[in-house]
Amino acid sequence: MNASGHGFIADRALLAFDLSKTGLALTMRQDQSVLSANEASRLLVAVAANRDRAAFAILFGFYAPRLKAFLRRSGMTASVAEDIAQETMLLVWNKASYFDPARAGVSTWIFTIARNARIDRLRRDSRPALIAEAFDPSDQPDEPVSGEQAVIASEREERVRAALRLLPPEQADILKMSFFGEETQSEIADAVGIPLGTVKSRVRLALGRLRQILDDLK
Amino acid sequence: MITHHPSDETLFRYANGSLEAGPRIVVAVHVGGCAACAGRIGEFEAVGGSLLHDIEPDRMEAGALDRVMAMIDAAGIGRAEIAATPRLPRADLGIRLPEVLDDCGIGPWRWIGPGVRWSRVTLPDDGSANVMLLKVVAGRRLPEHTHAGYEYTHVLKGSFSDARGRYGPGDLDEADDDVQHQPVVDREGECICVAALEGQMKLRGLFGRLIQPLLGG
Repeated sequence: MNASGHGFIADRALLAFDLSKTGLALTMRQDQSVLSANEASRLLVAVAANRDRAAFAILFGFYAPRLKAFLRRSGMTASVAEDIAQETMLLVWNKASYFDPARAGVSTWIFTIARNARIDRLRRDSRPALIAEAFDPSDQPDEPVSGEQAVIASEREERVRAALRLLPPEQADILKMSFFGEETQSEIADAVGIPLGTVKSRVRLALGRLRQILDDLK
Repeated sequence: MITHHPSDETLFRYANGSLEAGPRIVVAVHVGGCAACAGRIGEFEAVGGSLLHDIEPDRMEAGALDRVMAMIDAAGIGRAEIAATPRLPRADLGIRLPEVLDDCGIGPWRWIGPGVRWSRVTLPDDGSANVMLLKVVAGRRLPEHTHAGYEYTHVLKGSFSDARGRYGPGDLDEADDDVQHQPVVDREGECICVAALEGQMKLRGLFGRLIQPLLGG
């Protein structure tokens, strides 16, 4: 944990250095720091409809550095995380026409693409002889979305955000940490000094509480 | 009506991508016909989206965007060929299989005991996953057994019952090593399930015990 913490600080220092030298253009391209859900959705629709490279560059600036951070948290090395982040953004370009704002928010949609790319990568690495074309339910042809579903999808994202805020902080933390995967669960166990089985039962409890809150918010 | 669903932990692991390939596809079969679980996975995926949105960004390598743009320019050629992977052989088992299994290889029914047949399901991207179809005749009582690890069983046709309840079409039974049961297939007709075992461990569960000799384990 410590080592990655130091690496992170070093990265930030480098970033500040780069920014001071190259100015605003790099800020836009490498470290888009704010992007609202509506804006992201508008940009992605522009990528799908017009193959809009400027819109894609803004999405890249916001999501690629976050994907890399997310993948590193999930246990990938910096170079593999970089690679999968780039691959994910390429898939975002290629699959943009499949994005349906009625089904999921941009962040959630991009998360699922990265998740599948990561699964694909892990299998390819462990079994190089096999042709890796990850099973990807999000690639299944979708039925048309009804008006009712459209409301549900955007409401769902809001509800989930609200529920995470309503969870007791320690339960929210354990859910967030365990979301990054099994390895992280062992790290949580080590960090908190409790057995892995206890982490698992706390995750179960937190999920139960989350379900309650989500159902109450419906 | 669906009465048995995957646990929230399993749906959470489906959403975060840590569920193994075998259980993942069995859960996908269930989710294909279960709006409640599809919605639950959507919620957990939104947790992932929210974490991604809020995470402290890392620094991409210099020129990363240019590299992706170059890949975009180079694309358009070759992608179609990559998608056209050779189809895995599919035996006709006499039932309509869920669409989720469309890309899987399907072996022929093989006898493994009185009234019990199985067919190996080969995933296109993970040939070593333990996934199988199981067909048991009406009224057949299976040997009492426990499980070595998690076993995921989704009912496609017919039904079976044990001390925990009755499992019919669309139900998913998630049995861990605490479960000791003796399922009985209901008398109305044969029962066909798709099942997966978690892990590459020696198979000792229901299907494991029946199938172990055939897998050469």
